[in-house]
Amino acid sequence: MTSRNSTRRWIRLLALLLGLSMFAAACGDDDDGGEGATPDDGAETETEDGVDSTPEDAEGDPVMGGELTYALEAETNGGFCLPEAQLAIAGMQVATTVYDTLTKPDADGEIQPYLAESVEPNEDFTQWTITVPEGVTFHDGSPLDAQVVANNLDAYRGAYEGRNPALFVFVFQNIESVEVVDPMTVQVNMVTPWTAFDWFLWSSNRVGILAQAQLDDTETCGTNIIGTGPFQLENWTVNEEFVATKFADYWLTDEDGNQLPYLDSITYVPIPEIASRGNALESGQVDVLHTSDTEQIAQRLQGLADSDEIKLLATDAYGEVNYLMLNQSQAPFDNKNARLALAHALDRQLLIDVRGGGIGQVADGPFAEDVTGYVEDPGYPQYDVELARQFAQAYEDETGQPLEFSYTFVSTESGQLTAQEIQTQLADAGITINLDPAGDQATTINNALAGDFQAVGWRNHPGADPDTQYNWWATGSPVNFGRIDDPELQRLLDEGRQAPPGEEREGIYQDLTRRFAEEVHNVWTSTTVWAIAAEPNVQNLLGYGPQGGSGAFPGLGTGHDVTGIWISE
Amino acid sequence: MPEVEPTSVKIDPAAGEGPDAALRHDDPDGTVTLSKTKRLGPIGWLAIIWLGLVALMAFVPQLFPVPGLTERFPDALRDRDFGPTAGHPLGFDTSGRDLLSKLVYGTRASMIVSVLAVTFGLIVGGTFGLIAGYFRGKIDTVITNAFNVGLAIPQLVLAITLAAVFASDANAGYGQRVLVVTFAIGFASIPILGRITRANTLTWANREFVMAAKTVGARTPRIIIREVLPNVAPAMFSIALLGIAIAIVVEGGLALIGVGIPADITSPSWGNLIATGRSQMLLGEAAQVMTASLMVFFTVLSLNYLGDVVRARFDVRDSAL
Amino acid sequence: MNNALRKLGQLALVLFLVTLFTALLVSLLPGDPAEVIIPFGDESDREALREELNLDDPLPVRYVAWLGDFVTGDMGNYYRQSITEPVADRVTQAAPVSLLLMLYAQVLALVIAIPLGVITAQRAGSFFDKFTNTTAFGILAIPNFVLALVLSYVVGVELGWLPPQGYVRFSNDIGEHFRSMILPSISLAAGQVAVYMRLLRTDMVATLQEDFILMAKAKGLSNKRVLWRHALRPSSLTLLTVAGLNVGTLVGGALIIEIIFTLPGMGVLIFQAISERQYVAIQSLVALIAVGYVLVNVFVDMLYAALDPRIRSARG
Repeated sequence: MTSRNSTRRWIRLLALLLGLSMFAAACGDDDDGGEGATPDDGAETETEDGVDSTPEDAEGDPVMGGELTYALEAETNGGFCLPEAQLAIAGMQVATTVYDTLTKPDADGEIQPYLAESVEPNEDFTQWTITVPEGVTFHDGSPLDAQVVANNLDAYRGAYEGRNPALFVFVFQNIESVEVVDPMTVQVNMVTPWTAFDWFLWSSNRVGILAQAQLDDTETCGTNIIGTGPFQLENWTVNEEFVATKFADYWLTDEDGNQLPYLDSITYVPIPEIASRGNALESGQVDVLHTSDTEQIAQRLQGLADSDEIKLLATDAYGEVNYLMLNQSQAPFDNKNARLALAHALDRQLLIDVRGGGIGQVADGPFAEDVTGYVEDPGYPQYDVELARQFAQAYEDETGQPLEFSYTFVSTESGQLTAQEIQTQLADAGITINLDPAGDQATTINNALAGDFQAVGWRNHPGADPDTQYNWWATGSPVNFGRIDDPELQRLLDEGRQAPPGEEREGIYQDLTRRFAEEVHNVWTSTTVWAIAAEPNVQNLLGYGPQGGSGAFPGLGTGHDVTGIWISE
Repeated sequence: MPEVEPTSVKIDPAAGEGPDAALRHDDPDGTVTLSKTKRLGPIGWLAIIWLGLVALMAFVPQLFPVPGLTERFPDALRDRDFGPTAGHPLGFDTSGRDLLSKLVYGTRASMIVSVLAVTFGLIVGGTFGLIAGYFRGKIDTVITNAFNVGLAIPQLVLAITLAAVFASDANAGYGQRVLVVTFAIGFASIPILGRITRANTLTWANREFVMAAKTVGARTPRIIIREVLPNVAPAMFSIALLGIAIAIVVEGGLALIGVGIPADITSPSWGNLIATGRSQMLLGEAAQVMTASLMVFFTVLSLNYLGDVVRARFDVRDSAL
Repeated sequence: MNNALRKLGQLALVLFLVTLFTALLVSLLPGDPAEVIIPFGDESDREALREELNLDDPLPVRYVAWLGDFVTGDMGNYYRQSITEPVADRVTQAAPVSLLLMLYAQVLALVIAIPLGVITAQRAGSFFDKFTNTTAFGILAIPNFVLALVLSYVVGVELGWLPPQGYVRFSNDIGEHFRSMILPSISLAAGQVAVYMRLLRTDMVATLQEDFILMAKAKGLSNKRVLWRHALRPSSLTLLTVAGLNVGTLVGGALIIEIIFTLPGMGVLIFQAISERQYVAIQSLVALIAVGYVLVNVFVDMLYAALDPRIRSARG
């Protein structure tokens, strides 16, 4: 069985962050067997053990019913018309509550069919066949079939009347056509071989399947949410609450045949400031919160977890990387010396210590440790003030301008403090940086889209397959915000996309990581740690994972399943 | 905060008293009778000393024996002990920088913004107020209505709006943003400063000596500047003191909303020290928020007090509004 | 009558200018407003926006079109990637929250300030009077957001007595609704208490020396009755006016308080509109607040005149 393996891996990832004491606590109990969808699945139990000194509490039979309130870091103002939506993690979390994706990764980071019965490529990966099961219905009672799936895929790739996706057009531009083969089977034809297409059907929970009625809703597609997900929208008051109630006809049951989900309802409340979110949890106003603010995790949540007041799950597994994204289409970062100077000037461990409460690791490349393409030492420029000065001087000699740039960031309190720290560090190397608070996340993204920045604080590239990052770096892609124009990088991206799984593919992506380091296309800083903190009685936070898989996906940077959550007395 | 808004100031006769106002009696028409002999008193001197200190911090922060702003103290960082140590009476922020030096250097931005803003408001508003009060009639109607329009938008809302609109340029530099904030606060303070000036001008413009000057054929600008202005000046001065106090608080409010002075490490402001210290406070490191708040508190208190003293002294009639 | 007409004319003028100012805010944006409002998307979206905002029309046309929309409840849209959402939808959700917050703060402030003002006026010069006055003076120097931060942390988190943030709608749970509003209301009311208290005190000190009070006393009415029935009444008019004018203070204060306590009111709307760079929304929200504020003051004015006809003639 794979579950023992996956459990170990899971523990290791957790231990990275939660410290050895928890590691030890978790070790005692890794022999739970079982298939993916079992309440006492290994991965999950360990998770709870990781922070809960009495593992028995996490066991026992799931309790049906109950209402859960979940504090999110942001409201998804743009709505949930997924083909057109811009979902950050808070949006992904809500999306996975009301929609299902055709595929989903499991505890080992393998992609598995989820809403689909099967997702199979042909031999050369130019054609993928998706089969959906019979008997699944949307919240409005309409059935899931091949036609609606095909319409969804067309909507995502910009080939469906009435839907105008922005980003997914480019993500799916390698699709040549989508055909309905029989009532339950869809065939997707590719322009070039596409090895990791099944990963794109998940796309960090962004590619949920919408009911026909929502797809065709030109006016209120964003709020008229109809999915197949475990919960259905009851009422959404923007900025206040998103209430979703149990979908009685949900297609999943647990191992004992109990109808999922367990909860009667789940209510998401957006509380942008982490401090307020922590308050809400501490005072019992909410049951769960998520955060990537490692300072709060280290200084506050960890303490509460240590005293058993809450349970805490924190990981950077399959997570995003934090970095300074540089605009290479203009000065100063079209010049490699400027990029090198910046990279050498940053003491990233200090940045993690000061701003991240010491949690998280220095990142030298875009991929998390368990992702294909990760290289331990890709040759990324390390902290060296002297070298930084030299490169800055070289830049000045070449251009006649001193190295100075503006740094754009999301103007939250935390964003400001990080900007200040970077400013302080660069001052040591004689590099001047002007702070440019950009507003909220969406505005910052818009600035990046428009190329209206020099350097911007960024966080991206979660997930488990490197090909899913293709569009972020491909030459000419509109979401290649940094305007990277590197033929070698492009070659690697294209080769990687078409290469069959195996060592060769791995090698390609490792080269890609090294290429990034050599050219300093981005200034990587640290891995992003995501944490979920919950009241102690909230159980099975991550759910069961896809049916045929090895358990729940441990990554928290893409939202997590809520189907299996239950509340004990 | 009541003093954020002009409205509470302008029709609040009670604001004309110091804390020891019980020592005097106000006659029914609102003019002060007994307080003309009012002296500064020890509290007044304390206020002046404090403001002098603030002025020094704003203009010559180098005088103060505090570390530089980018200087970091690794010991505090390593032990995560940010409490006071020898040489660091207020301790450190959570990045290991000396807190006192942040407060000292933060004075400049706060004071520059608020003093400049009020100066701007006073020059523009004061000029129009003098003109309206002196000439009366149609000019007065027009100007007063313009003031009323300005007053119809709550000052903070107006300042936020202006700051948001004019800082929309994504690559605005630090200086430009400071300018925007200053202008936003200054513009928003024009109507109230103008109205107070007008009200006081009204009471002086028909006095005998003004009439006399008119009769002897002095030119109007000369009369306004030589005869009216000196008499209106105390009122303008007292309201300017209150205005600066208000502006300091507004600057903090703007910082909290994210349209204030950029939280540049080399030039903090009290407002953004409060705004960027909130989560630290919840982590038990309340020093930055508390000390910056105290700076605001003492400064506002001093300005309010002195504003009251000036008003009591010069018999400023704000009930004329 | 003439007076009323003139007042009405003034009101119309003020409303006209205020709306004109706010309606043109978008034109103040540096650069092409359509570019700033829709940084993403294609030229056709911008063309549609220019059409909608009449950006290519001369000023008067644009204003009239805007006004026509505004008075019929069309406050423009949020412009987001592929999605436009009417601002009015949000306002109907948010406005009640802000109005309730201001109402509670105002009531709280008056309930505390009136007795304090009356007692200190009656005992002018006493220790209690001095103490109250000095405290009030100090409170005036505490920014309300500082008070809010401290209350949220100390009472909400450390002591855990009240919710440190968040909002519960009246219709959902009345008890929780009030609990969620206590700290925000206190933060907002504290400064007002000081203002009202000091105002009432001064006013009543003066009133207490007037003839009719002395007469009442001479008639043998009890001190208490004179104080609360005869002396308070005229002073309450001043208080009413100040309370009306203070709505502006409350609006500004409420904005920040809402953000600190995450109450989904107008302040949060403006805050989000600013951080999302939704200029059309900013413009409409500010216009709405300004119009509301003007109307409140007019209402107070009318109430004032109705309560005390003498005032009308005296002021006219």
